[in-house]
Amino acid sequence: MTSRDPLTHQVANKPTRKLFDSFALSWRLPIIVWQTLFFLGPLIFMVAMSFFLVKNYRMQEAFEFVNWSKMFSRNYFWDSYFLTFTLATLSTAIASLLAFPASFALAFKVSPAVRRWALFLLIIPFFTSYLVRIFSWYVILAESGALNALLDTFGLGPYTMLNTKFGTLVGYMTLTLPLVVVLQTFALSNIDRNLVQAAHNLGCSPFRSIYAVIMPLAKTGLIVAALFCFILSFGDFVSPYYLGGSKPPTLPILIIDTTKSGQQWPRAAVVAVVMMVTLITIAFAALALAYRTRASR
Amino acid sequence: MRNETKPHAQKNNLRNQFLLDWSLRFYVILIFVFVFAPIVFSVIFSFNSARFPTIPLESFTLKWYETIWADPDVWEAFRNSIIVSVSTALIATTLGFCTAYTDYRYRFRFKSAYLALVLLPPTIPLIIMALAMLAWFSKIGASGQLWSVIIAHSVLTAPFAMAIIRLRLNQMNKDLESAAWNLGASEWRAMREVVFPFCKPAILSALFLTAAVSFDEFAIAWFVSGLNKTVPVLILEIVQGNIDPQVNAIGTIVFLVSMTLVMIAQVFFFLRQNRTSN
Amino acid sequence: MNTPLVVFENVAKHFGDFVAVKELNLAINAGEFIAIMGPSGCGKTTTLRMLAGLDQPSRGSIYIGEQLMNDVRPHQRDTPLVWQSLALFPFLNARENVEFGLKMRNQDAQIRRSKAMEWLERLGVAEFAERNVDTLSGGQRQRVALARSLVTEPQLLLLDEPLSALDAHLVIRMQSVLTQLQRELGITFVYVTHSQSEAFAMADRVVVMSNGEIAQAGVPRDIYREPANRFVAEFVGRNNIISGTANTVDEKSIQVKAPMGTFDVPTKTNTPDTDKKFSAGDMVTFVIAADLVQVTRTKPKTENSVECSLISEEFVGSMVTLFLETADGTEFKVQLQERELSTLDHTTEGAFYLSWQSDSAHVLHG
Repeated sequence: MTSRDPLTHQVANKPTRKLFDSFALSWRLPIIVWQTLFFLGPLIFMVAMSFFLVKNYRMQEAFEFVNWSKMFSRNYFWDSYFLTFTLATLSTAIASLLAFPASFALAFKVSPAVRRWALFLLIIPFFTSYLVRIFSWYVILAESGALNALLDTFGLGPYTMLNTKFGTLVGYMTLTLPLVVVLQTFALSNIDRNLVQAAHNLGCSPFRSIYAVIMPLAKTGLIVAALFCFILSFGDFVSPYYLGGSKPPTLPILIIDTTKSGQQWPRAAVVAVVMMVTLITIAFAALALAYRTRASR
Repeated sequence: MRNETKPHAQKNNLRNQFLLDWSLRFYVILIFVFVFAPIVFSVIFSFNSARFPTIPLESFTLKWYETIWADPDVWEAFRNSIIVSVSTALIATTLGFCTAYTDYRYRFRFKSAYLALVLLPPTIPLIIMALAMLAWFSKIGASGQLWSVIIAHSVLTAPFAMAIIRLRLNQMNKDLESAAWNLGASEWRAMREVVFPFCKPAILSALFLTAAVSFDEFAIAWFVSGLNKTVPVLILEIVQGNIDPQVNAIGTIVFLVSMTLVMIAQVFFFLRQNRTSN
Repeated sequence: MNTPLVVFENVAKHFGDFVAVKELNLAINAGEFIAIMGPSGCGKTTTLRMLAGLDQPSRGSIYIGEQLMNDVRPHQRDTPLVWQSLALFPFLNARENVEFGLKMRNQDAQIRRSKAMEWLERLGVAEFAERNVDTLSGGQRQRVALARSLVTEPQLLLLDEPLSALDAHLVIRMQSVLTQLQRELGITFVYVTHSQSEAFAMADRVVVMSNGEIAQAGVPRDIYREPANRFVAEFVGRNNIISGTANTVDEKSIQVKAPMGTFDVPTKTNTPDTDKKFSAGDMVTFVIAADLVQVTRTKPKTENSVECSLISEEFVGSMVTLFLETADGTEFKVQLQERELSTLDHTTEGAFYLSWQSDSAHVLHG
């Protein structure tokens, strides 16, 4: 075996000397302990909490389905669920569509240097205060805000943009669009250019090649980008609260209201568990779709 | 096919292609305008004297900055935020390094479960993590503390640190560590003398990036911080009240801080490409 | 006979189901330049890594200077390795790379520095001492890597295909650097390579491995002239391999009947322990080295001759290899000097005759 051989090499590095390798465990254990205590622990406890009881504003450990039946029998819960789901789906569709031409241009129409810079810039907002950006939109979109003032100079408006679904969606786009563009651009620029060229040579028009060649090749990346968009929108409370007016509340707002005002943590936990289950289902469905290979190949 | 097209049709095609390319570029610029508009807006209006930020602009002023400068709550919040983000960066990067090294070097049973445990937190909505953390911390009697926020943020940001350091380790020649052992370094010594120096740019990058994420996180901080407000929590509470241009001033400072952190992180991240061992 | 420095005793190494080394018995003497040669996957690198402690034998024992090494960790051994990838530390300059081994032995900074400079000097790269190793050329990096391994003055130096990344002209130069170093230092070199030219040019002894086992061990001349088996004969190349049945067998020679003719082959070999007795009717395979075959355009009078037609010729420097084919489709290779070719009228059509001395042929035992 030469030292380049991946098979022997990886196994060869495995220490076989001792059953208890203190060096290896020193690197492996910290995160296991940490995540068990502070990630798995809280999540499992939250699921358990959804079965607890609240008496005289105090939580009692129990195993009752009363929170579940209470929440599921309320209309506002289901209104809230469908609103959140619809908004997140809408946000995913709009972000994917809005992002695609930009990602396409960044992947195929600009030099690698420009692409690097564009991605560099697009990553920045993802790590900067979302809250302040939403506040900015709040004053921009207000009845007497900057956008209406601008439109007024053209003799348009004023339009009501705050406390509407439009407002919520602007907020969702603020949160998700940069990320979706980045992920789509990665997916598209990983495509083998030769395949696109080949399609052109075979008489495929540019528009058709997008549909017939590029989209299928970048499918996995495009779906993953959409999935992230859905997860972010579904769990965001800032946009629907400040820009959407929270009437009716979305599920995240429901969690906040239930937790902050009524000390009804177990009911909030029910909402959170429902959200988790929804997201896990969506994620599995999306990944199955993303990695499905066509049978006729 | 191409040969059959007539010259003027070809010319038309070229013109269409040209128009299409430029409209695509223009579209990219529009997207960037949308993404950066709120940031720019916030910065501009932090210097505008109008009580309600709209156009046309009124006069230049520093009064919003003076207001927050004089506000002890703001100072307190910044102090808390700095403590939280620095501690988070240190813990998350340490955890991220351990995990990245384990993934790089070892194969073991349940490794995919191990990796899932590490990498999942960012995919769970913050509001859910916030509720779960709040409940858990009050259960174990640790809620309302600054270090509850630190712990929660470390869980959230360790995967980012792990990813950055793991990418760097990918570039490390597999023989490098063995070469150190071969020359007389114990595993611990080789870690200190070879693996650690090799990963240094990525470690610095991870420190800055995790600090930036922690500095901006508000949902979990809001739920578990109790009375120890961080800057984003303070902003959240001001915004809940009414429109106050103070937010623009605080926001501008926050943007400045987190953008600086992210940019430094990116510089370190890209720096490594100049020094890659073949 | 001096005691061997390194002993492999019934050593085997498995990686899961994969058998890298099947059964290895080998003694390496102090001061010897030994080359372990074989195709990729033959177990040569695993053998070297076991010597360095980077892989642990699944079975058997490895001794270095009488000490059992099986459980000795890599860093507790004094077996520096020159890596195929060189594995220079990219975040250290050339001098710091060379100092590394001394630093691990907690040597004084002053001493470290002067020793490192001494070795860089000796290998002719002192002027690059403060340079980042990424900015050095392949040959310079090679010398830094050698200096790094030798600075601790080991008794044993392991080399894992160190020249495989270099240009051909650099390989020749580094070969002489290595042999000279080994002679001056008097230490043991264990050199792993897939290249027979490197092995034959430098080593005192060559070990040919195949499928995790030693196919043959011996001085380069024996490997080349008297391959023990078909694998070695083929791996060494430039051999014509002929199989046939034994017509008659006597004390000194076997008469072999093959499709293209009948040949006399001597029975004696240099390896009496593998000397198998043949009897009439047995299958016999023998080799005749390409450079021991004469080519003529007229039928020679000697017994061992074959009629062929010329297929192609290949020039490498002053050497020519002719590729010929007999009527039954057996291929023959003949190696000769370029000036010999000019005396041969090889451009006209017609038959070529190959012939050789009986005692140039060599019987294979396996």
